[in-house]
Amino acid sequence: MSDTASPSVPPRTAAGLRRRQTGTTARSSTGSRPAQTPGGMMRIYTDDSPGIKVDPVVVLVASLTFIASVFILHIVGKYTR
Amino acid sequence: MPEVAAPDRKVQFREKVMWTAITLFIFLVCSQIPLFGIMSSESSDPMYWMRVIMASNRGTLMEMGITPIVTSGMIMQLLAGANIIEVDYSLKEDRALFSGAQKLFAMVIAIGQATVSVWSGVYGDPKDIGPGISLLLILQLCIAALITMLLDELLQKGYGLGSGISLFIATNICETIVWKAFSPTTYNTGRGTEFEGAIVAFFHLLFTRSNKFLALKEAMYRSNLPNLSNLIATILVFAVVIYLQGFRVEIPVKSNRYRGQQGNYPVKLFYTSNMPIMLQSALVSNVFFISQLLYKRWPENLLVQLLGVWKSPEGIPQEYAASGLAYYISPPHSLSKALVDPIHFVIYVTFMLTACALFSKTWIEVSGSSPRDVARQLKEQQLVMRGHREGSMYKELKRIIPTAAAFGGLCIGALSVSADLLGAIGSGTGILLAVTIIYQYFEIFLKEQHEEGQAMF
Repeated sequence: MSDTASPSVPPRTAAGLRRRQTGTTARSSTGSRPAQTPGGMMRIYTDDSPGIKVDPVVVLVASLTFIASVFILHIVGKYTR
Repeated sequence: MPEVAAPDRKVQFREKVMWTAITLFIFLVCSQIPLFGIMSSESSDPMYWMRVIMASNRGTLMEMGITPIVTSGMIMQLLAGANIIEVDYSLKEDRALFSGAQKLFAMVIAIGQATVSVWSGVYGDPKDIGPGISLLLILQLCIAALITMLLDELLQKGYGLGSGISLFIATNICETIVWKAFSPTTYNTGRGTEFEGAIVAFFHLLFTRSNKFLALKEAMYRSNLPNLSNLIATILVFAVVIYLQGFRVEIPVKSNRYRGQQGNYPVKLFYTSNMPIMLQSALVSNVFFISQLLYKRWPENLLVQLLGVWKSPEGIPQEYAASGLAYYISPPHSLSKALVDPIHFVIYVTFMLTACALFSKTWIEVSGSSPRDVARQLKEQQLVMRGHREGSMYKELKRIIPTAAAFGGLCIGALSVSADLLGAIGSGTGILLAVTIIYQYFEIFLKEQHEEGQAMF
């Protein structure tokens, strides 16, 4: 994707248009605002911020543990009441 | 603040889909598990209007949904856009600090909101609940908020597709629509048991009633539960939005660098996508929220009454605005209600359209997709408009982009209003959000697959 403009015959298909569009937006996003995305989606965290680095697997395990612990709380709550 | 490490290699498309699915699964589980320690959740829900855009479910771990992230993101971005906080986006440290601050702010909001809602007795009187359980409630809410934040970050950092916020909103709305269509829950109305789901009810009525014509009519137009016409309206709105997504103005551009290279720069009709409707409903739901709280505290005050009087219709605990400002900016419940009170309808439509158009125009400035930014981008890539000089390019863009944004916002607003009037399931705003998000995902899918294909050669 070194050239963003397509060859001399502009393709009429939707895929061709999209390809060019993604090309133009993707390459120029380096210095601009974080909110800007190809699809217009809201994005909030785009850069590395200071903080503890965690692996996605850790996030997965942590959320599952959390869900499990709430489950256990429910069960324990049912028996003690 | 914990944060997800950015992937150190290119994540495969298949892997991305897997992570997205896992995230979705965790979100869905969290939005089904009830919070531990709730006493009651039968009273009117002041957050009712926010639930759609905030992907939250009442009384579950996703009680707050993405509220903290979105609120903090919006506030910080507006502050930065208005130059109250000075952020130099070309500096890496500045950007890092900015997103770090956003996250910290989101957590502060989460803790604050959790404490306030527990303390103000949303889940039952705090005295009845007891201090221990109250603390547990707050803890559950805060950890859930943290997990949502991490999941969102996980997707955005490139492990998954799109952003968690969009994914969660779309899932929540789609869930509602599917549930309303196929729900097997039965209600005992005066005329025997009826199923909640529109399609299930249709077949049930058709088989049990002796008069098939009346049964069909009943399935189409029953007013107390979702009916077939609602479902058809929903599908219609889906189709229209997807059709309109294809509308675009194409600006012919050519490259200065490579002779003979030319193409088009598309400016879509929905240039700002779903942002206007999101901002509009964020504004409206906040007004409703404040108005409800005030009305609960001082129902006699004239100013408060001007802002909104809240009454619940018989049989439903949920309160609706009955008069005041809040009434005029809330959608009419049905087409017949709109005809009964045409002033309300006209004011509502005017407000909706103006707000959407204005928000859309503002958003291009805030989000960095204004004519000036686009002109700079094109210049960086040494692209010029055919038949225009470099200087006049900005002028031309300035002519096209704000018009497209404002008109697109207007269209979005109009679509939302018509969806509400047709009684589409999950409110007009909700459907529009869902469709635009799904379309964005569709685009991402195509893009990813295209890149995958390119990498192979």
